[in-house]
Amino acid sequence: MTNAVIAGYARSPFTFAGKGELAKVRPDDMAARVVKGLMKKTGVKPADVEDLILGCAFPEGEQGINVGRLTVFLAGLPKSVAGVTVNRFCGSSMQAIHMAAGAIALGAGEVFICAGVESMTRVPIMGFNPLPHPGLYVKYPQAYIPMGETAENVAVKFGLSRAEQEAFALASHVKAAAAREQGNLAAEIVSFGKGKTKVDTDGCIRPDSSLEALADLKPAFDENGTVTAGTSSPLTDGAAAVLVVSEDYAERNGLDPVARVKAVAVAGCQPEIMGIGPVAATKKALARAGLKVADIDVIELNEAFASQALACIDKLKLDGDKINIDGGAIALGHPLGATGARITGKAAALLRRQGGRYALATQCIGGGQGIATILEAM
Amino acid sequence: MTEIAEISKAAVIGAGVMGAGIAAHIANAGIPVVLLDIVAEDGDNRNAIAENALRKLLKADPAPFMDKGNAKLITPGNIEDHLDLLAQCDWIIEAVAENLGIKRALYAKIETARKPGSIVSSNTSTLPLSVLAKGMPKRFLGDFLISHFFNPPRYMRLLELVAGPQTRAGAVDAIRAFADKRLGKGVVMAKDTPGFIANRIGVFWLQCAVVEAMEGGLSVEEADAVMGRPVGIPKTGVFGLLDLIGLDLMPHVLGGMARALPAGDAFHGVFREPELIAKMIADGYTGRKGKGGFYRLNKDGGKRVKEAINLATGEYAAAAKPKLGCVSAAKKGGLRALVTHSDKGGRFAWKVLSRTLSYAADLAPEIAGDIAAVDAAMRLGYNWSFGPFELIDKLGAAWLAEKLKSDGLAVPELLTTAGEETFYRKGAGRLQFLGPEGEYRDVERADGVLLLTDVKARTNPLARNRSASLWDIGDGVVCLEFHSKMNSINPQTLAMIGKAIRTVNIIANGYKAMVIYNEGSNFSVGANIGLLSIAAKWHVWFFVRWLLGSGQNALKAMKFAPFPVVGAPAGMALGGGCEILLHCDAVQAHAETYAGLVETGVGVVPAWGGCKEMLLRWTADRQRPGGPMPPVIKVFETIGMAAVAKSAAEAEDLLYLRPGDAITMNRDRLLADAKAKALELAQDYRPPAEAEIFLPGGTARAAMNMVVDGLGKTGKATPHDQVVAKALAGVLSGGNTDITEPLREDDLLALERRAFMKLARHPASIARVKHMLKTGKPLRN
Repeated sequence: MTNAVIAGYARSPFTFAGKGELAKVRPDDMAARVVKGLMKKTGVKPADVEDLILGCAFPEGEQGINVGRLTVFLAGLPKSVAGVTVNRFCGSSMQAIHMAAGAIALGAGEVFICAGVESMTRVPIMGFNPLPHPGLYVKYPQAYIPMGETAENVAVKFGLSRAEQEAFALASHVKAAAAREQGNLAAEIVSFGKGKTKVDTDGCIRPDSSLEALADLKPAFDENGTVTAGTSSPLTDGAAAVLVVSEDYAERNGLDPVARVKAVAVAGCQPEIMGIGPVAATKKALARAGLKVADIDVIELNEAFASQALACIDKLKLDGDKINIDGGAIALGHPLGATGARITGKAAALLRRQGGRYALATQCIGGGQGIATILEAM
Repeated sequence: MTEIAEISKAAVIGAGVMGAGIAAHIANAGIPVVLLDIVAEDGDNRNAIAENALRKLLKADPAPFMDKGNAKLITPGNIEDHLDLLAQCDWIIEAVAENLGIKRALYAKIETARKPGSIVSSNTSTLPLSVLAKGMPKRFLGDFLISHFFNPPRYMRLLELVAGPQTRAGAVDAIRAFADKRLGKGVVMAKDTPGFIANRIGVFWLQCAVVEAMEGGLSVEEADAVMGRPVGIPKTGVFGLLDLIGLDLMPHVLGGMARALPAGDAFHGVFREPELIAKMIADGYTGRKGKGGFYRLNKDGGKRVKEAINLATGEYAAAAKPKLGCVSAAKKGGLRALVTHSDKGGRFAWKVLSRTLSYAADLAPEIAGDIAAVDAAMRLGYNWSFGPFELIDKLGAAWLAEKLKSDGLAVPELLTTAGEETFYRKGAGRLQFLGPEGEYRDVERADGVLLLTDVKARTNPLARNRSASLWDIGDGVVCLEFHSKMNSINPQTLAMIGKAIRTVNIIANGYKAMVIYNEGSNFSVGANIGLLSIAAKWHVWFFVRWLLGSGQNALKAMKFAPFPVVGAPAGMALGGGCEILLHCDAVQAHAETYAGLVETGVGVVPAWGGCKEMLLRWTADRQRPGGPMPPVIKVFETIGMAAVAKSAAEAEDLLYLRPGDAITMNRDRLLADAKAKALELAQDYRPPAEAEIFLPGGTARAAMNMVVDGLGKTGKATPHDQVVAKALAGVLSGGNTDITEPLREDDLLALERRAFMKLARHPASIARVKHMLKTGKPLRN
């Protein structure tokens, strides 16, 4: 089997939907700029790229019309590069990496750009034309359950208090603010705009967040609930991209392989507690890699909500010190389609920075799914 | 002499409450305005004062802007850095503090910056033009006048204009025309005397009433109950009005009047500052803007209790509903019964009205061109239903003269002139008033003003029942007028719609168009829900079904009639009233039109075609994002939230008004504008073709139900809100249809009927109806 390796990672700044600095940037332009940044950063030969696989959770409007292919044109890649859009909601761009790794293993190409994008400003959650199956909604309404409600369900089911969630959220902001301060985020960010309108830092981090401020917020999804806007990831605009190549190709072409894709998995779970999706997916991936949780040195666990992240940590018995070292989605933001590429690229980068051997990147997915990737340092 | 062609840019200097409010209203007319104040002393931002004023305007309630977007038309600045902006302005309004020195210094500055032919006016309420303008250069004198707005400028219709002896006629005409047509003001020319017309009489009346209430031992509630509705004055009466104005303002106003008025003026007889009021002001009880005033809302203990102050002790207690014989007597016997009643309320009414009406009659020749101007000023500036001379006519001029004499009071000369006659009469089909020499003159209406009142004075209705009438308003146009209580719609209203259609349809009658218009406070508050309550009590559901069907049929017949129908609303156009507008070929709306489909508030859905018409409008709108759901969702939100537009401009945003509909700023011009629109449409008129619509069916229902379930879980929708919203979703989804199948208008009407009938029988909807009838407010069950 041919190994797939992560040979580069870049992303846009992540900024608030609606009021953030990328609100006026079209998602296809956003994706293209990040892809260009990745090409420049890695020095990979454009003509060698087999496919641009773009993850997007709501691929319609400006994110429609096979935006993967359009990003090829907008990024100025050769026409010979193919383009595809994939949708597994929040797992979309991690799925892109899985597809690339699978294709490499199959001998169906050597170089893949695995990207993700979401302008939550310009394409609303649920899209412009939500047309759910009426029969299914009657028979199995959980199929369409709103994400906030699942976060409440998880909090109740696993007995997670509001205070615990808030402490977790605050930690995310503290870590992200420190990472930004120390310049650990700047290296991965492709800037947008010029001069006065230049955007090169994340917009959602709140360094001045406090437990008191978090405690003041009203429940966001259930008037008697425990989940607030402060313990949820914000609506965010952003794009991310990872270069996935065969190990041979990297060696032949002098690229810098950061980490090897060791194992991947997806798994379904009950939609009403979709937040625990990472548990089953991670277990599968660990088994496939022949590893135990204790073998993992770096963990990127997406923070859709503090409640679901805490539930996953508890169920998988993860070591808190290894998780989201540079902050997670509660602080950084969660542009749905882009997050998978971000946390996989980030896990690879952290593996090198921390000097560990194995990394886990995993996330929950609306509709009741989890997705996980295990990387091995090179 | 240079004359400006029209006012296309204005400036207001002085960004206080009045100045900013005037600027906002000029912006409402679509005219850019420069708003300047002095340079802010604190901080780096030299424009802070004007900018803050602009921010406050956006938050103020009631809203000074008809559309928040109008704020963009205002450029804030300061008089040191931005004086050059005045060079672009055709009209410069000074609205700074009532300080002669400040004003005159400002005029000197303005004079250096403004362009030739531009007009300068002062919004002073106390200083005479002769004093303001004294010694100013000739050019300034020609271009200067007083334009006295009332607060709040968007809502109060009166604008008093005072011209000086040297003011150019062209300048007065330009402001008059602009204020009338673009700002919608009722312009009254006043003479250059203290307080002009409305405040001269109004302040006297207020002060007289305060003093007499205290001396007569009336409570605050009693005084307002007498000096309000029975006299045709807003129910705030005297003390409620003072709370609105602000108690702290009164000493300035009263003091100003006392200083300005000559020694013999009757005002001095009522002028004093009661200790209680001085103490209230000192304690912060300055009215609604403060902790409260004569009335206050006590929120202690979680409840909101309306309290009133005891005028003798200064203590607050729960406001009582006064029971006075004079008020009951006035309901049957009118104003004369009120003032002749022997209880303390009757004595109070006589003391206040005898003095106020005498004061007005004494002053009229001195302060105004004629009595009609005096009456107009009090109607428009104080919202009185009748001016002083109209009130005198209610009492009888001769009767009043006799009663004054027997009370040992002086009889004003005008009353003697009137003798046994009335101040107003219908003569030669025109409304006429009594001139100073005892001759009758026509009440003049400006070009483009057509009032149904005048039509009624000269003709008989083509048809009439208890709730609606049909009038011939000339040129082949018929006017359908509602006149039921609050213009609610009942079977008789619907019958008159049918009658109107038949009347215009008969070719021999020579009619070609119809206007739906009335001169009530509200176009229509919607279907009479009292009928629904009765039906629920007696289980006469066939009656409700019949009413639904006849409403749908009437509006459908109107929509597809072979002649154009123009709706001309002003005030509230709610529920069924809004549905009538939705079925018109076009709407000519007064700017202060408050339209909305509010049926969900009483637990039902619009079922006279309101859902249908809104769906047709939103699917026809090309601005909307693509796909089948956005229009459905938009209508769902609009009707589901019972969204009421707070102006005609907002109604455009909600598509209660369509492109092609138009807005009239001046209430008095509404009928003429609507008639013109109807005649324009009548040329080569073709009725609309019946529309087909494609709706997504069950999938849309599921999408909307998901939203409703979510709102329920977050506590934003009550249990019955959810029931009603889901029924609405059933209608708006198109029922059991598929996106590939066309639906006809009748299909949607059937869906509306079914949903309405189901909801109307629901106990929670019945509870909503009862609650609304009892309290006037929606029940959140």
